[in-house]
Amino acid sequence: MISLYQPRDSPIHRLHPLTKLTLSFGLIAVALGAPVDWAPLLLYVAVLVPLSYVAQVPGPFLSTSWRLLLPFAISLFLIQSFFFPEGTQILARLGPLTVKAEGVRFAFASTVRILLITGALLLTLLTTHPGLLMTGLVQKGFPPPLAYVVVTTLQIVPQMRERARTIIDAQRARGLETQGSLLVRMRALGPLVGPLVLGALLDVEERTLALEARAFSATSAKTSLYDLRDPAAERIARWAVVLGIAGLIAWRLLEALQ
Amino acid sequence: MIPLHVEQVAYTYPNGVVALQNISFSIAPGESIALIGQNGAGKTTLARQLNGLLQPTQGRVLIGDLDTRQHTVAKLAAQVGYVFQHPEHQIFKRTVRDELAFGPRNLGYPADRATALVTQALRLTELTEFAEDHPHDLLPALRKRVTLASVLAMDTPILVLDEPTTGQDARGIQVIGAIIDNLRAAGRTVITISHDIDFCADHCHRLIVLGGGRVLLDGPAEEVFGRPEVLEQTAVELPQLARLTARLGLPLAWQPEALLDALEARQHQQGQQ
Ligand SMILES: Nc1ncnc2c1ncn2[C@@H]1O[C@H](COP(=O)(O)OP(=O)(O)O)[C@@H](O)[C@H]1O
Ligand SMILES: [Mg+2]
Repeated sequence: MISLYQPRDSPIHRLHPLTKLTLSFGLIAVALGAPVDWAPLLLYVAVLVPLSYVAQVPGPFLSTSWRLLLPFAISLFLIQSFFFPEGTQILARLGPLTVKAEGVRFAFASTVRILLITGALLLTLLTTHPGLLMTGLVQKGFPPPLAYVVVTTLQIVPQMRERARTIIDAQRARGLETQGSLLVRMRALGPLVGPLVLGALLDVEERTLALEARAFSATSAKTSLYDLRDPAAERIARWAVVLGIAGLIAWRLLEALQ
Repeated sequence: MIPLHVEQVAYTYPNGVVALQNISFSIAPGESIALIGQNGAGKTTLARQLNGLLQPTQGRVLIGDLDTRQHTVAKLAAQVGYVFQHPEHQIFKRTVRDELAFGPRNLGYPADRATALVTQALRLTELTEFAEDHPHDLLPALRKRVTLASVLAMDTPILVLDEPTTGQDARGIQVIGAIIDNLRAAGRTVITISHDIDFCADHCHRLIVLGGGRVLLDGPAEEVFGRPEVLEQTAVELPQLARLTARLGLPLAWQPEALLDALEARQHQQGQQ
């Protein structure tokens, strides 16, 4: 199976997988809950990037992170800056099209959120052996089917990238022009995205079948290949993060209710 | 109809794997070639050089007079059709017929020519009765034939088929074999990658044997099958009947008729003694 995992000997690699997942979600919660648009960008630069150096994976982290972001960023900026419906503040005109400040701001906020969410999960995946992630979740009482689906869904990203490459090759070989002007590339999207989404759906179906074939619904305790260390400090940190997330959500809800 | 020239081609993947070294050969219109060799020998890498999906790191590939380094894959697609090994990834239209029309439309063929080509490709692949079905409702073996048909409909002078017979039942293999024979009879060039040595022996007159990224043998079937010690290096076994003739101490043959002839000749000889 294609995996993002980069084997290294770093303190981040040695953390319990569940700790890494919890911390990721904590960071995401803080970023999304913060009152300013640029908070996710700040957390990305000030927390995730330094951590990627600690984990000795800055290269794969930065390149994958930006490659994941770029398509989103470009389409968000194009669509939102030109078509943001309630926009009033006009920044520029291009023929019949207008670039609105509200649109640009919205596109920026969405883009940095995606950057942080993918970044946090990416760092977890880069530093966690897929088998360990699965085992870690199950040992902590996650129902195995749920753990399996979580782990494999996280792995869909690199798989999709591989598949996208195959599809692009196959359609170019049938005469589809994929290089050139923006118009040419937009026209190429249908034949590329169609099989990609369909393939992903078929995968999920196969995964469900695989679950049943591997007797995942059996109820006896499953033996595991890996025995994971989980120090008390990490357990406490996880609970603190979970409480923190709950508190944050409660606080934002209360604020909204006033 | 155009020739194809591979001139001193070497290819190294970006991660440093040297997949091809010093490969040279020419293929004339109307040839039916088999590319054989063990897993990892470089067959797919070589085939991908033939339509520009990969460009040589050394040497060059000429399709007619088009150098693959100077043209996009989409442009070269008008000359070389390529049927992928795992083609189910490329299907995206709602009906088999529309899927087949995708290539001819990309190549800018006029509507009536495209329609005629699609109809013909459906007939050749025995898919006419499924023309209005959703490709994903078909059995995998038929779906694979849809992608073969979608490339046939592009009417290219050269065709590359990567493992066309895997997953096909006996009838499917027969249909694909007949298509190769017909293309060749019509003066087209067909290059087949296959593990099925019997299939290659039946439908390809020239075999190019790859091992470790190099050409080990290149010649007509009778010549290549006469060198079992070289074939062994790249884990290729002789066709079943050829192995049988070897065991019987008969001259090399791999077609039933040739084997019968050899047997009769021997009986005749023995009768005379
Ligand atoms: N995308 C790739 N990146 C790096 N190495 C590759 C890639 N594809 C194939 N290879 C390597 O190149 C060699 C030839 O592979 P391939 O052409 O697929 O062989 P075959 O089709 O004969 O099985 C193998 O060593 C294989 O591992
Ligand atoms: Mg191959």
